[in-house]
Amino acid sequence: MTGFARRLAGKLLAGLVMVWVVVTFTFFLVHALPGKPGDVQYESYIMQGFNPEEARAKVTAVYGFTSHDPLFSQYLGYLGRLLHGDLGQSVYYSGVPVSHLIWSALPWTVLPVLTGLLVSFLIGVIAGVIAAVKRSSRWGGLLSVSGSLVAGVPSFVLALLLLLVFHTEWHLLPDAGTSDITLEPGWSPEYVGSVVQHAVLPVISYALLSYGGWLLAMKSSVITVLGDDFILASELRGLAPVTRARYIGRNAILPLFTVLALSFGIMFAGSFFIEQTFDYPGLGELLLKSIGVRDYPVMAGAFLLITVAIIAANIVADLCYTLIDPRVRR
Amino acid sequence: MTEVQVRDLTIEYQTSAGWLPAVAGASLDLRAGEITGLVGESGSGKSTLALALLNAVPEPGRVAAGSVEVAGVGDVLSLSGKQLRKVRGGELGYVFQASQNSMNPLKTIGKQLLDLGRSHEVKDLRALIARAKDLANRMGMDGDRVLDSYQHQLSGGMRQRIGIVFALVLNAKVLILDEPTTALDMLSQAAVLDIVRTVHDENQLSTLIITHDIGAISEIADRLAVMYGGRIVEDGPLLDVLRRPTHPYTRALIGATARITGDVDAARALPGRPPDLTTVARVGCVFRDRCPFAVTACADTEPPLVVGEAGRRRACHVEPSTVLSGTPGTPAAVGGQP
Ligand SMILES: Nc1ncnc2c1ncn2[C@@H]1O[C@H](COP(=O)(O)OP(=O)(O)OP(=O)(O)O)[C@@H](O)[C@H]1O
Ligand code: SF4
Ligand SMILES: [Mg+2]
Repeated sequence: MTGFARRLAGKLLAGLVMVWVVVTFTFFLVHALPGKPGDVQYESYIMQGFNPEEARAKVTAVYGFTSHDPLFSQYLGYLGRLLHGDLGQSVYYSGVPVSHLIWSALPWTVLPVLTGLLVSFLIGVIAGVIAAVKRSSRWGGLLSVSGSLVAGVPSFVLALLLLLVFHTEWHLLPDAGTSDITLEPGWSPEYVGSVVQHAVLPVISYALLSYGGWLLAMKSSVITVLGDDFILASELRGLAPVTRARYIGRNAILPLFTVLALSFGIMFAGSFFIEQTFDYPGLGELLLKSIGVRDYPVMAGAFLLITVAIIAANIVADLCYTLIDPRVRR
Repeated sequence: MTEVQVRDLTIEYQTSAGWLPAVAGASLDLRAGEITGLVGESGSGKSTLALALLNAVPEPGRVAAGSVEVAGVGDVLSLSGKQLRKVRGGELGYVFQASQNSMNPLKTIGKQLLDLGRSHEVKDLRALIARAKDLANRMGMDGDRVLDSYQHQLSGGMRQRIGIVFALVLNAKVLILDEPTTALDMLSQAAVLDIVRTVHDENQLSTLIITHDIGAISEIADRLAVMYGGRIVEDGPLLDVLRRPTHPYTRALIGATARITGDVDAARALPGRPPDLTTVARVGCVFRDRCPFAVTACADTEPPLVVGEAGRRRACHVEPSTVLSGTPGTPAAVGGQP
């Protein structure tokens, strides 16, 4: 297992480098934008009648750095604070730490995305197996078409469609928020029920978003494995059908772990549209809002988090792969 | 004792031109203690015939006629479901053409052996493992190590031998090997065939070895059967057939094998190409396009496989003596030359 540890260390190192690159890129991008974040605020304080001394102090308090320092020392200071887990403070919500905003938005993105991913993975993989085994029959064909269709619909169209059907037409599900606002947050059955009810449409959206991908990927993977020599060999050796199904399943699902990481990233990206459509206070909405009001620290923080999440998903997928496939261990 | 009796077996594949036979009216016996070599050019139907012995004709194929009687089992072609599954691996051990990759890459050989045992409801799995290790050891491998390995950790020759272990470990009485040595170098080829001979003798198996290469099996087989265009055109005791080939195709095939004629210069490649499903002659003799001995009858009547003396059979209109003498009788009558 030393090979395993070395592989993990390598992946982590590569991940850290990746994060650093993204952090650096975002920092300099934000500072290259016309109207530097600090400057805009500084000007507006001046306009409000503060004297330059006070205005600079306020900007420092809000941004954690003064924009009149040389850019590079600002960058170093920013990196140093990041290392201590300090993402700075929001401009829009004056003084609120960015990490606090992100922590409170995070569950509303991660939980629905993960649930949706899991649901679509299970359904998509099973449907993919059926579509592969019954590929010459009409139902198998229809199943494949369903995958291609759903995979081709953009996320915001999908979300709007769901809203139209389940809220506007059938009045079955709520259209906005995470729970009924009259309820007190807590572990009361009413509140939890309301949260679940509000989460249904976002979860379905995420699930549909990736269902087609799973189905098509699994289908083609199963077809490939069915043509493999060892499957014919296992048939000629009289292996039990259950055993053969296990052989096929495990071999076919292997390449999907790479897709898993990818689709996790895609879902995160898709969360912008879906959270906006359902007015759901997750990361995507936080990011969109912060872009709207030029809340640069929040933007940088959200980008950072999404980057870390995608890289982490990649590492986890890679480790799953390593655990299942003896050929990659060594 | 005749272990396997193939009778009038016809296997067809669905093609764009309809259902066409890859094996036509083949009859063959495999006897206990005998190794039968089955030779023929690519596409002659060897693998199709062998797979049919397990009632495992691949898609889009079907058994159009015939039977495969296995001693103690009955007609394998009439079995299905669990009964059929038990015969595969249980009575009939098969090492198939691409057995370099015949193992699940994600499981150790030992775990797959247990899967095999459980699938066949073997009570004593320890004994099964012990037997597999013993077989592996006798094939020149380290049984303990091999069972702990994954397929990718084994060499080509070891994989081939593991394929044979899996075919034998359930005490199959019939062993079918489809091109067991094609992927191996000369040395490993000889070693694998040697082992097959030893295990075959010890267990009084009925063994069928399929190959392109007459030379490779001429040292270990007892009988030789020759296929062409889906027909068995000649068979008999190996040495007898090699010394006195009485079918023009057999004669040409032997002539093309330097190892048997012992003279590389004299080894002439077979002129022309072997037919496939769509190009094989529908009437007359399937070999006539390439046959230097062909006579008028060859163009319109298919020669039946006739039993001769000393356990030999042949399917040809021309007299054995004519073929043996090597001088075509009536060249003017050669028909169907393209
Ligand atoms: N699955 C299939 N579908 C259609 N035709 C097939 C199929 N398998 C084999 N055939 C055809 O049947 C004929 C016999 O094939 P088969 O594989 O039995 O030959 P073979 O003697 O084993 O050849 P080789 O020495 O190349 O293995 C060939 O013409 C081949 O093209
Ligand atoms: S002589 Fe006629 S029957 Fe005999 S192999 Fe040649 S073509 Fe066929
Ligand atoms: Mg073959």
